[in-house]
Parts: sequence; structure tokens; C-alpha cells
Amino acid sequence: MAEQQDPEISFKKETVKKLLSSFFREDKTKISSDAVLLMVEMLKVFVQEAAVRSQKQAESEDCDQVDIEHFEKILPQLLLDF
Amino acid sequence: MSVDEHETQQRLKAAVHYTVGQLCQKLGDDHRREFSRQVIAAIAETTFRQCDIFAKDLEAFARHAKRNTVSTEDVKLAARRSTALSIYIQNKSEELNQDLKKKSTGKKKSRETEEESRE
Repeated sequence: MAEQQDPEISFKKETVKKLLSSFFREDKTKISSDAVLLMVEMLKVFVQEAAVRSQKQAESEDCDQVDIEHFEKILPQLLLDF
Repeated sequence: MSVDEHETQQRLKAAVHYTVGQLCQKLGDDHRREFSRQVIAAIAETTFRQCDIFAKDLEAFARHAKRNTVSTEDVKLAARRSTALSIYIQNKSEELNQDLKKKSTGKKKSRETEEESRE
């Protein structure tokens, strides 16, 4: 798993809260602030995993830039892991 | 979906895109391998849709526990598929509890120490 790189770069608490709330099926569903903080961490790990795995894929193909095809190759396993 | 809701979604998507871009930039600099704009957009879109899945799961977990509020327990359950992720989330959750303990030394503390002594 990717170690957290920089504590400063992360999703905003408010963004994650609104994001999750917008996807809830029922309006009465709420989310506790600690749960939001954990989801901020979870989403950050998800993005970092996506990025680092794509980077590794690009590295194995000897490419200097990470491109969409690298991400496409790691996507199925990424989704199975989350 | 109304026009307003649609706009809110677009704004949230843009916010996700921005943060994904920053995280990728950082990793790109650290490992000397840059991300193309297309990859960043794809990761952002995937994250957005994954969020949809997470939210629906969390809601279902909370409902199953006969609650209307999603708690940290539900998030822990959402992270069950990967052992490493699950441990990471558990640790983060404990960190949050520690912070809480420092702030308020009320009845919640005795319950938590009880849990710790059991472990």
C-alpha cells in the first residue's frame, strides 16, 4: 500500500461530505464527522493506489510518461481491491 | 436530476479532479514519471464513481444497523476487502479516538480503556 506522501494534499472534508451525501438514496441518511475523516483517508489511498500502480505499469513498459493505457491495465485489480 | 443538482455534481467532480491532479503531480515529481492529463481525468472519474459505490454501501450498512447516520464502523466495514487497507483504516480510526480522548475525559474514556484492556 502506498505510504502517505504529504499530509497537506488531501480531499477537503466538506467536499467528501457533500460528495457522499449527494449519492445517498435517502435524504434522511447523515454521516458522522469522524466517518467523513476516515472516508477522506480512504479516497486518498484509492487515488494514490491508482497513481502508484499506473506509475509502476509505465515503469515496466519503460515509458517516461504515465498514460491512459497504463491506468487501463491496472484498473480491474484496483477495483477488486476496494 | 434538477439543473441545480447537476451543477453541484459538476462542481464536486471538479473538486475531485483538482485534488487528484495535485496528488498525481506530487507522485510524478517524487518518482520522475509524469502523469498525462488524460490519466488524471480518468483517475478522477474513477474516484468519483467509486465514491458513488462507497456511499451506497455505507448507507446500506448504516440502515442494516438500524441507524440513519453513517458511523466509523460502517467505513471500517467498507474497507474490508483489502487487509492492508482495513488495518490502515482501523489505525486511523484509533487515532481519531485518541484525539477525542484528549479533548474530553468523560464517560466515553472509561469505555475505550475497557476496550483496550480487553485487546
